[in-house]
Amino acid sequence: MGEILLSEGEYRILKKIAESGFKEGTIDEAAKALGIEKSTLASLSVLLAEKGLLEVEEHEYEELSLTHRGIEALESGLPEEKLLEYVVRRGGRASLKELREALGSEAGIAIGQAKKRGIVEVSSGEVFLKLSPEEAKRALRELREALESVSVGRKPRAEILSELLSRGLARKVKKRIVRIRAPDDVKSIIKRSKVEISKLTHQMLKSGEWRGFSFRPYNVRASPPRVLPARRHFLSEFIDYLRDVMRDLGFTEVRGPLVELELFNFDMLFQAQDHPAREIHDSLWIRKPRRGDLSGYGELVERVGEVHRRGWGYEWSSEVASRYVLRSQTTAVSARILALKPEPPARYFTVGKVFRSDAVGPTRLPEFHQLDGIEGDSSYTFRELLGRLEEIASMLGLKLRFKPAYFPFTEPSVEGYVRLPNGKWLELFGAGMFRPEVLEAAGVDYPVGAWGFGIERLAMAYYGVGDIRKLYTRDIDEIRAMRMRWF
Amino acid sequence: MPVIRVRVERLSRLTGLDLGELEEALFRLKCETEVSDGGEYIEVEVNPDRPDMYIAEGIARAVKGIIGAEKGWEPIPLGDSGVRLVADRVPSRPIIAAAVVYGVDIDEEYLEELIQFQEKLHESVGRRRVKVAIGFHDLSKLPSREVRYTELGLDTVMRPLGYSGESMPFSQFLVSDEKGQLYGSISLDRDKSSHPFLVSGGEVIAAPPVINSEVTRVEPGTRDLFIDVTGTRPDAVAKTLDIIVSNLAERRGARVGKVSIEGPGAVWSRTPLLEEGSFELSVGDVERVLGVSYSVEEVSTHLERMRHRATPRDDRVVDVRVPPFRADVIGVIDLIEDVAISVGYEALGPRWPGKFHGGSLSWETRVYRGVRDLLVGLGFTETVQLILTSPRMVEIAGMKDYSVEVLNPVQQEYSVLRPTLLLTILLTLKENQHRKKPVRIFEAGQAVYLDGGTPKDDLRLALAVLSDEAGFEDVQAPLYSILDILGVDYSVDEARHPMMMEGRTAILKSGGEVLGLLGEVRPEVLEAVGIEYPVAAAEISLEVLSRWTSRT
Repeated sequence: MGEILLSEGEYRILKKIAESGFKEGTIDEAAKALGIEKSTLASLSVLLAEKGLLEVEEHEYEELSLTHRGIEALESGLPEEKLLEYVVRRGGRASLKELREALGSEAGIAIGQAKKRGIVEVSSGEVFLKLSPEEAKRALRELREALESVSVGRKPRAEILSELLSRGLARKVKKRIVRIRAPDDVKSIIKRSKVEISKLTHQMLKSGEWRGFSFRPYNVRASPPRVLPARRHFLSEFIDYLRDVMRDLGFTEVRGPLVELELFNFDMLFQAQDHPAREIHDSLWIRKPRRGDLSGYGELVERVGEVHRRGWGYEWSSEVASRYVLRSQTTAVSARILALKPEPPARYFTVGKVFRSDAVGPTRLPEFHQLDGIEGDSSYTFRELLGRLEEIASMLGLKLRFKPAYFPFTEPSVEGYVRLPNGKWLELFGAGMFRPEVLEAAGVDYPVGAWGFGIERLAMAYYGVGDIRKLYTRDIDEIRAMRMRWF
Repeated sequence: MPVIRVRVERLSRLTGLDLGELEEALFRLKCETEVSDGGEYIEVEVNPDRPDMYIAEGIARAVKGIIGAEKGWEPIPLGDSGVRLVADRVPSRPIIAAAVVYGVDIDEEYLEELIQFQEKLHESVGRRRVKVAIGFHDLSKLPSREVRYTELGLDTVMRPLGYSGESMPFSQFLVSDEKGQLYGSISLDRDKSSHPFLVSGGEVIAAPPVINSEVTRVEPGTRDLFIDVTGTRPDAVAKTLDIIVSNLAERRGARVGKVSIEGPGAVWSRTPLLEEGSFELSVGDVERVLGVSYSVEEVSTHLERMRHRATPRDDRVVDVRVPPFRADVIGVIDLIEDVAISVGYEALGPRWPGKFHGGSLSWETRVYRGVRDLLVGLGFTETVQLILTSPRMVEIAGMKDYSVEVLNPVQQEYSVLRPTLLLTILLTLKENQHRKKPVRIFEAGQAVYLDGGTPKDDLRLALAVLSDEAGFEDVQAPLYSILDILGVDYSVDEARHPMMMEGRTAILKSGGEVLGLLGEVRPEVLEAVGIEYPVAAAEISLEVLSRWTSRT
């Protein structure tokens, strides 16, 4: 005889049978004896029977039971019994009218049945008792006994049963009975069986019964339900990577205010006060307050004014320089650092938001991130700056191409272009050596190179995002599902 | 930036280069190029420091230099034009200069380029005609050899360009014409009753900076030009005229004639000045900036290619004469850049400074990195939103009084800086309220607000939980867990906040400073934002947190 393959449930039933010593019985008895839900036992016993490991017999039979009317008659008397009791109480006779009042709707049945049994006769509107009360009771006893028999599951005589059925006092219901018979060799069946289960559980491991089990193979090619992890935002991860690059190159991170004085955003950067970038359609200002306090920057303000008067030949206004503007370039932070005249070698960087007068659209936002770096030392030259830019680009896996450029605050100025994975050229850096006018205004006496770039465009290229608004998505599943990138 | 549109064929004729060579040379000259109209036109984006390249002749001059086909520059011989300019005092637009250029020979194509040149100069150096405005006139149509620059009443009658010679009072032109509306108020006098005019032989030939007259209209067939430049600053006016004259003089057979100026408003006795710049450039300075050592001969060669005149004085110093059309050279640093451009930035040999020890991230950045990793571990997803938000959200938050509003917003939706990150957190939750719950998010960034009337920004962290029954503990537990792991000491008190439910809001303090708050968001706020699930949220200052997070 070969191996017997059992499911976990089938195995449990056989095991319970062996343990409890159950031999044979109805399914209800078996369920009770084995401590298994009847419905579970019913379905599994059929499966076991199909494997020839259990006998399941099913019988159909008719079950006799009292109807509502039958139960009523058993408890408070048959209509003819009630009639008998009434007539006896009235001295052996009663009028039909009185009977109808006393018995209500049952009066008709009661009189008919009593006449049929020869207990009463009816003449000229009156009912007379024909037998003595004792004889009359005896005549009705058989029917009462039949009702009692049916109520305890016994079957009365055939004629009397058909009377109960025809009077609607009893009825027949078809019933099924399942009987289960355990095999004699249940222990050896268990021994010879191989149990296949779906889940390995703590219980199995604790009891050691896993040893007798084999585990049902899965369709490992099937797809699981989709899950997404809690995660950091990809733009924030990207910015952090840029921070790490700058730190690894020896730069110190600094920060500056978002609502900035024009002094640092423009004037220190040698942008004349009528420069187009300072016009209403380019930058954003705040409604209140319009101006800040320059009193803490006395010497700096004087030097900036002097440089503007000499360089651009106009009457420079400190009032314009005191206006608050939403920082339009992170070079404002670099200007603040320069104004602190740091000891060379100076290497600083900042990452932060800048604001521009642009509407939200697929390629532009009114605010975006910039990274700005400055580096200066007594022997620092344009060649070092170009090299530094190449180095940063290489850490991002990019190769730079240089193009001469113009910025008001640097000379020489350069733009660094990179070829993106999609083959397009992207302007990565704007850079240059700070003009002597900027250094003079700051009071710094060594050359300083500076660069800055917008982060969103580059992030879009890295993450393959075509619409800049996707970087600021509110759909957290988009954030969670974003493809990871390395540099 | 100004974009100059020229026919490729014309630039090729002027330079002897094909399209590819042209684009390469222009790239080295700071320009970006794009070919349009199926290759017929090239659009050259010129930087605002080179207005001398806003026309084909100027572009060609620079290109021929950098490819080595021509070098240096020659002074333009100045004849006398016989035209006399009488300048009255015009307080609203005090400066005027003028010149005559003979033999410009205008055809249809050149007329277009000339108008483009004028427009680009107006937009950039002219600051939309406020600082400088230019007028071109057909010299042969000038009613008299004498031109007067003066202030006249607004009822002065003229025949503005574009009205087929029709006469009208200037006041009418100001209200009915687009240019009149755009530029009409720039040079009105203080009581708005008079305006500058150019008058010749009793006829108005221009009302600078607004419009010229039909009387001296320039058209195909015009041979000689009378040019006026008016403005508010002498240097800008003179330099603009120099740039125009230098470029027109590049036309084959063109000659320049001086205009004499007299009267109480005259700044100069004759123009154009064609003023050159003069600098001494030492090779030591070149090496100090560029990091490469060049001889005086090499430096001279490069400067000549950039169209300067350069002569070695000795083995250290080069005498440089900067041409009149270069407005951007204000110091030797600008000449050093020209040397670098001529050499080519790649050819300078970029030197990698390499890595140095001592780089560091700000303490706030480091603390946030720690907090962020813990939050992700607790099942929170990071979100990033804009700082600019809508006034409606600020009003819902009940923080209008100390919010910072933008003076000139582009869109109402983005016209105020968020005073708390809870606003963007709620907007993000709104979009995700029908996802599998609980929805757990956090965001770090700046909140901007008025602190005693002064704008201030604070780096903050906000976290929130949205679910069927989100409550205080859902943010309290993770937040306290993080603070404990960071080793931060904090105290807790009951608090009130416009966005949070009373009796379910707590304030956290560290070292006496407010660290932040946490609580359940008011149902009124949730309803106003459009959120149908309860939200518990917290906001703390990363700056305060960093101050009280010990490094040891």
